[in-house]
Amino acid sequence: MQIIKTDVAIVGAGGSGLRAAIEIAENHPDLDIALISKVYPMRSHTVAAEGGAAGVAQDHDSLDNHFNDTVSGGDWLCEQDVVQYFVENAAKQLTQLEHWGCPWSRKEDGSINVRAFGGMKIERTWFAADKSGFHILHTLFQTSLQHPKITRFDEHFCLDLIVENDKIQGILILDIAEGEAKLIQAKSVIMATGGAGRVYSYNTNGGIVTGDGMSLAYRHGVPLRDMEFIQYHPTGLPGSGILMTEGCRGEGGILLNKDGYRYLQDYGLGPEVPVGQTKNKYMELGPRDKLSQCFWQEQQKGNVIKGPRGDVVHLDLRHLGEEKINERLPFIRELAKAYVGVDPVHEPIPVRPTVHYTMGGIETDAKTATKLAGLYAIGECASVGLHGANRLGSNSLTELAVFGQLAGQQAADYARNSKHEKITPLRKQAETIMARTEALLHSEGTEKMADIRQEMGDCMEEGVGIYRTKESMQQTINKLAELKKRYKNIQITDKSSVFNTEFLYAIELGYLLDTAQAMAHSAILREESRGSHQRIDGFEKRDDNNFLKHSLAFYQGDKAPKIDYSSVTITKSQPAERAYGAAGEKAHAQEKV
Amino acid sequence: MSKRKPYIRELPRDWWMKQLFYTKYMIREGSSVLITLYSLILAWGVFRLSQGETAFNGWLEALQNPFAIILHLLMLILALYHTITWFSLAPKAVDLWIKGKKLDDKVIVAAHYGAFAVLTIFCLLIITL
Amino acid sequence: MSELTIEIDVLRYRPEMDNEPFTQTFEVPYTAEMSILEALQYIKDHLDSTVSFRWSCRMAICGSCGLMVNSVPKLGCKAFLRDYYPQKISLEPLANFPIERDLVVVMDDFIKKLEEIKPYIIPEKEKCLSEGTYQQTPEQMAKFKQFSMCINCGLCYAACPQYALDNKFTGPAALALLARYNRDSRDNGEAERMKIVNQEEGVWGCTFVGYCSVVCPKDVDPAAAIQLLKVESSKDYLIGMFKPD
Repeated sequence: MQIIKTDVAIVGAGGSGLRAAIEIAENHPDLDIALISKVYPMRSHTVAAEGGAAGVAQDHDSLDNHFNDTVSGGDWLCEQDVVQYFVENAAKQLTQLEHWGCPWSRKEDGSINVRAFGGMKIERTWFAADKSGFHILHTLFQTSLQHPKITRFDEHFCLDLIVENDKIQGILILDIAEGEAKLIQAKSVIMATGGAGRVYSYNTNGGIVTGDGMSLAYRHGVPLRDMEFIQYHPTGLPGSGILMTEGCRGEGGILLNKDGYRYLQDYGLGPEVPVGQTKNKYMELGPRDKLSQCFWQEQQKGNVIKGPRGDVVHLDLRHLGEEKINERLPFIRELAKAYVGVDPVHEPIPVRPTVHYTMGGIETDAKTATKLAGLYAIGECASVGLHGANRLGSNSLTELAVFGQLAGQQAADYARNSKHEKITPLRKQAETIMARTEALLHSEGTEKMADIRQEMGDCMEEGVGIYRTKESMQQTINKLAELKKRYKNIQITDKSSVFNTEFLYAIELGYLLDTAQAMAHSAILREESRGSHQRIDGFEKRDDNNFLKHSLAFYQGDKAPKIDYSSVTITKSQPAERAYGAAGEKAHAQEKV
Repeated sequence: MSKRKPYIRELPRDWWMKQLFYTKYMIREGSSVLITLYSLILAWGVFRLSQGETAFNGWLEALQNPFAIILHLLMLILALYHTITWFSLAPKAVDLWIKGKKLDDKVIVAAHYGAFAVLTIFCLLIITL
Repeated sequence: MSELTIEIDVLRYRPEMDNEPFTQTFEVPYTAEMSILEALQYIKDHLDSTVSFRWSCRMAICGSCGLMVNSVPKLGCKAFLRDYYPQKISLEPLANFPIERDLVVVMDDFIKKLEEIKPYIIPEKEKCLSEGTYQQTPEQMAKFKQFSMCINCGLCYAACPQYALDNKFTGPAALALLARYNRDSRDNGEAERMKIVNQEEGVWGCTFVGYCSVVCPKDVDPAAAIQLLKVESSKDYLIGMFKPD
């Protein structure tokens, strides 16, 4: 087995992984960095983010505003010290991306332009038309190429973490093309593997978003925090789930039910703002969790449109005009034309909520360190405590930059203060992992992978969707237990070594099932409604007395995960009623009195 | 021992026949052969002219040959084809910006055709006057 | 209602078993909105799980799923069965790349080319974060924006006969990316990059076939980028002639 010694290993080369790698390369030229990705870095799912990245940019805005929007958007489940650090560093890190070449959209005078986004009081979303994630990712990837100390392992799949003497000492990766394992011995490891949206059937996520890092850390005893909070993006295309950015609404797009009525005004987001105008935190610029819930309510009332690919509402951009759509939302036009045959210049786009983001993830402290010494986690796979119970759109792209930078610093410091330890026990561990992996490959199971995957996605939609009941969640839990059992008997036809994708999908399905379990079990025990976790079985209200706390899911092997809780750091924003539209304004006015 | 064995596909000799786009490209490039031939014939005429009237008339007479006429027709068609395809590609090599917008491709193509027409008329005038 | 189906030929190559590629035919249920990628996923899930292909985003932005559809380079997720039905469809790995396995090609050379053209801002002098962002007007941005839209899918290399004839040629996507940085008002690295441009394998390897720009799924127009670089390269050459060294 090939053994590669490095100082810091980074698993995942999306926005946060690349940002961390560059941070180390720029400031610690003596450190070796191994950057591992199961795909070429520019395929990472950061690429699909559209709307933009939040950072205070206007004189009439303030860090406090961004802080308050984020904390109330997260229904007070955010770590407030983390949010404070985040808002203070947001604009700085977005500026750094600009220096590296990110083509942020500009005003006529050449300064940065910002757009409105849901749940944000003042426009502060930096955007690169409607391909913000794409440009951020490519900018970071290209910038990373000037650093010879970053050794990339493209198309290498992470099989496991190597933990010895209670600290992480490396990872075992599989060279996908060769079909051979490599042991990366590292002093510190950063997990940057992205979310787990693929546990649901309908999602905006790429096929690679399978919760790998979450599961790997989880299996090694690191808790997954706040996993019950799954964001449904209110505007995905029916069938495929392809994302129609919140930027559509930021630019003035409106949502209509089957009667052409702007139904959001019936759910505490009004009064209606005239078409062609936008008002921050009103109507279509409410937060994602609320908007997705409104869709479900309308569906119950029979006010949605029945389409060939299921129930939809209409996202109408026509009043923006062709020129503005081409300038600000060209990708949206391209996607709508290709995938639903609708030109948004002339017709409204059919949309429905689809799973988009996992707010929870690997528990870290405010400086991205996990409970396992030497292991850091960033980006969607991590729960640094920024998003609470619901993420505000455009906070996550900034998160990649802010916490990617911080993790780079932290992991480098850790690596500088530690030494490589003896390789023998690590190699032994690696061999055990390989034996286990080979056994899976050569198992003669009979359970069809596609069935397990489909049933998992469907039961998650059913039980841990936009609205939840104990009964539906219990059914999901039972189903997942059954699927985990069936997974042990999974059929893998392809026994070959070179680019065996069937085998990789099988391993990924294992990661997905563990993540799904953590989500469902965390959800059923949270007997309240908060942010994206909404219950309709007697727990419709938020319960700060009992549940103003993070859930922590601990892996228990074949048994159900153990759920524990930890406290929430509150610095300056005491939990209050979370309201938008006129009600929000009123509540805010009262607070000030 | 690596189990990889990347397979390299040979480029078939007739690769340019398998895709209309490539065929058209090859005709565009191939047209230069006949256009070169045409320049040589023309240069030959100039050379004959320097040798006196009889020699030049002989050259002119040779051009009356049906084979020469067919050849010239073919050369004309190819020269026109080359021109048209070249003009349609011309915008790609032009980097003109007016008021922050790239000059429209159509304008560039039209300008080429305009210049082509003006030059042709100018040449015709020289010959006929 | 009888279920409509469509036949799909997939070029298979399993390096551990085959000495050369062969064609395998699958019959896939047909719906108008089904993409080629979804058809492949259907094949993998229900007909033959050993077929390998790359994919991820499903929305034509990650650049993973390039392949030849009836000999034309396409993104699998952005090509639809409806555009071929009821004719049989033939799928092959991207042309001009070595086949790793089935529809997966070896991308190493392509990635190396992207790496070599210095695709990052080389500033005149380091700019401090406290100085804020650069000023860059929409006009200045428009000069390079189109060339920054490349998703690195490799379709243009599969379309380029010059790359097929000699793979030392830097190629369309890498040269377009080079042009993107040369044309960025924040960048000062043009002189360094022109060394790459001026080489035989640089822009002069291009004979302006122009098919790269036709197949580009993102309208990057690499052919235009290369022609503009040729103009710059010629200028460089002319200036060099009069400059005593």
